[in-house]
Amino acid sequence: MAGGLPHPVLLVDVALESVGLHIPSHVAYAWFAMALLIVLGFLATRKMAMVPTGLQNFFELAIGGLESFVVENIGEKGRKVFPFLCALFLFIITGNLIGLVPGLDSPTNNVNTNAAMAITVFLYYNFWGLKMWGPGYIKHFMGPFWWLVPLMLPIEIISHLARPLSLTLRLFGNIRGEEIVLALLFALAPVIGTFPMYFLFSLADCIQAFVFFMLTMIYLKGSLEHAH
Amino acid sequence: MVFNRLIKDRQTRDAIMNASVLGLNLVTSTFVGLIIGWFLDKWLGTKPWLLLVFLVLGIIAGFKNVFMEVKKISEADKAEHEGHGQDD
Repeated sequence: MAGGLPHPVLLVDVALESVGLHIPSHVAYAWFAMALLIVLGFLATRKMAMVPTGLQNFFELAIGGLESFVVENIGEKGRKVFPFLCALFLFIITGNLIGLVPGLDSPTNNVNTNAAMAITVFLYYNFWGLKMWGPGYIKHFMGPFWWLVPLMLPIEIISHLARPLSLTLRLFGNIRGEEIVLALLFALAPVIGTFPMYFLFSLADCIQAFVFFMLTMIYLKGSLEHAH
Repeated sequence: MVFNRLIKDRQTRDAIMNASVLGLNLVTSTFVGLIIGWFLDKWLGTKPWLLLVFLVLGIIAGFKNVFMEVKKISEADKAEHEGHGQDD
């Protein structure tokens, strides 16, 4: 939280402290988001019906929409990587949105959580590239002309290494910034000041989750496609 | 998707997304180049040359990323305008 402001009461932290576990806040809240998703997934799949109702309906709509979006962009190959992308999206959007609930905190407002996800993305798309193309994957780094290779190779390597860094910083900056703004506005005008911001920030949270998901999808598309 | 209904205006949403993607690419590439150069210098003992070379490469990589991104956006814009033209 922002420096100098009173420290908020974080419910999961307090609960874990009282049991005697000293776990960093972002890890505790990442577990909380995971637990929430697991419970919701369990509830949604407990009574599966051909004509979905309630929670099952909601999850079928969300996951079906995401899957058709991925297949539209990557093609049929996208179905193989879809579970990874969908899990990432659901985790990030849950993590972002629980930060808006009083007493809870976003796991994504910490660089460590985001860096873990971004490095996983980096390793995952390179793994797919190597699996699809073998040693020929290096052609993805060599640019369009053979005489440009000595220049393009370091440039491409730098821009690939910059990807996890920019993914991390973008999510971290947006979510942490939101929380600081909320804390400051709450100090200025409690409830009245923060209430309108909740609409803006719930939208921004969704957009940031979607941006992370979409960029991961674009990177995977790049490594699954032919080099050109 | 729920997300689609949050803002009905697709262009606003795309603009927010592009704005948050474009700027950081430029900065992070530069920093990655700088860091690679710094560590190579430390390892090979060739102060300051590799740092400068990789810093310039990082800047080029950042601008290349932004250039590709802007090209993609302008192509999408053009496609959208042509689509509207056919509708009219």
